[in-house]
Amino acid sequence: MTNRFLSILAIAVLAILPTLTGSSYLHHLMVLWMIFALMALSLNIIIGYLGELTFGHAAFFGIGAYAGVIFGMDYGVGGVAALIIAGAIAGLFGLVIGYVALRIVGPQFAILTLGFGSIIYTITNYWVDVTRGPMGITNIPPLSLGTEWLTFTTAKQYFYLSFVCVVIFAYVLHALVSSRTGRAFIATRENPQLASSIGIDIFRMKLLGFVVATVVAGVAGALYAHYVKVITPELMGLQYMSAFVIMVIVGGRGTIVGPIIGALIYVGLLELLRPLGAMRLVIFAALLIASVIFLPGGLVSLWRKVFYRRGSAGDVAKEA
Amino acid sequence: MRQPLPLMSGHMDFVVLGQQIVNGLVNGMAYVLIATGLTLIFGVLRIVNFAHGEFYMLGAFITYYIITLMGVDYIWAAAIATVVVAGLGILANVLFFWPLRKEHEFTILLSSLGLALLLTNGGEVIFGADPKYIPSPFSEEIVELGDIFVTQQRVLVFGVGVVVLVALYYFIKNSTMGKMMRATAQNPEGAALTGINIRKVHAVTFLLACGLAALAGALVGPTAMIFPTVGSWAVLKGFIVVIMGGLGSIPGALVGGLLLGVIESLGGGYISLGFAEAIGYAIIIVVLLWRPQGLFGVARKA
Repeated sequence: MTNRFLSILAIAVLAILPTLTGSSYLHHLMVLWMIFALMALSLNIIIGYLGELTFGHAAFFGIGAYAGVIFGMDYGVGGVAALIIAGAIAGLFGLVIGYVALRIVGPQFAILTLGFGSIIYTITNYWVDVTRGPMGITNIPPLSLGTEWLTFTTAKQYFYLSFVCVVIFAYVLHALVSSRTGRAFIATRENPQLASSIGIDIFRMKLLGFVVATVVAGVAGALYAHYVKVITPELMGLQYMSAFVIMVIVGGRGTIVGPIIGALIYVGLLELLRPLGAMRLVIFAALLIASVIFLPGGLVSLWRKVFYRRGSAGDVAKEA
Repeated sequence: MRQPLPLMSGHMDFVVLGQQIVNGLVNGMAYVLIATGLTLIFGVLRIVNFAHGEFYMLGAFITYYIITLMGVDYIWAAAIATVVVAGLGILANVLFFWPLRKEHEFTILLSSLGLALLLTNGGEVIFGADPKYIPSPFSEEIVELGDIFVTQQRVLVFGVGVVVLVALYYFIKNSTMGKMMRATAQNPEGAALTGINIRKVHAVTFLLACGLAALAGALVGPTAMIFPTVGSWAVLKGFIVVIMGGLGSIPGALVGGLLLGVIESLGGGYISLGFAEAIGYAIIIVVLLWRPQGLFGVARKA
């Protein structure tokens, strides 16, 4: 009850947020927040619900970005169709890579996904005919839903577009987690042997979660590409890869609010630290280390500690 | 000129092939040195150390600064840098990995990722982002092996690599500390119960691993430019080698590293320079489809 009330309140606040300021700079940060929140939510399926760490997620973000843009610019498939194609292609890659990689677990899986991510990065970097290589693709046209007045050009419009995506995906995720499939995910995370003994096909569950996560990452990538209008293979590099993982962990894995807060912290903190110049990323890394060590359940666990004290601390805090 | 003309083309093909393989073996030896440390830390302590490549970077930069600021010979500078970074490895262990040893493996992995970001960006602040070149007297000198040409520096990379790996092999096989490390790898609790000082094992493992990474940086540094982000390149190559060879397996690191070096070199020479790396990765996928746990690895199945 209170949860439903809080979510509606949060949605309402977010919906009026861009109207509170006329600054296009703040609008820009809000768009980044929403797109990164979408990414973090999708990554959280793998990290939070399947319980596997992946370092390949930025690659799917990049695949979505490139697929959306290439189909839009070279084949004239624009608008929502480009977003759907981006998601589908990222999901297809996710299916193949997941099929190979999900056979192993733990640190090996994390490193394997890092390897797959590097393969995709390298190919993007060198397949100049299609991806235009390290220079990237520039002058990406804005996303259009067909008619003139439904063409997304301003940051505010992109905010609402990505905000809608975040709300829909968060709702789907919420429904999924409370469903039989979601409980199977969590059972797989908590005790794979027990889960398989009661008839859960662990490999299929993991593959399903992985593919869903990669589809959403693809859509987020396409949104990002059309918004910033320039993409380079660096989208799949180590920096984005670690950024997405940081958002999920710092916000709180295994929750829906956590990754959204994590994305806000990431975008906001990097902006706040901007005056520090070159020291910015050093301090950022130190804060990451501190938060991983002292708050393994993420910022959300802090909230739980304050309001619920003990007892109902939820599965994430227990696991951590 | 030296060869009779009719034999020329066939012989030349052979020379080119030989040259590619030799280059590949040298690059591969650098990968082996990086990957051995990575796989040692995982094998003994079950830690995936994302910051491993940063010790490679530090090894290269400290060598550079010892040479340019203090005017020390290259060989001595490389040796001092290796020892200093091995010491830093112990420091990283004491401040970082030892206190976290009982945490969830995600926490350790992520804090090592944080450490990697800290060291890379810290390196950029301290050393500057512009590439640097380590001067080595061996870079200019050429060794001729028949018709194949190699710089002395590259011979040094390979030679030192072989010596260090043989020494490491006998250290782990015969010394008391080596036996303690193997016991810890098999069963940490059991090892502690028999009176093995786990704390010391942790420290020595980090000392060896970070020393190997630094040595690789000091040796490979003069063959290319160095810059503070080189650590992420190193750790990526190291990880690729260990997934191919099997995480935690030293023979796997050796075979995987040399194999990756040769494959990249041949792929770059015969197919496409740009796709050399991608070809290396493609081979890995084939290996992993056949053996997901790597060539020498033991799988941890779901």
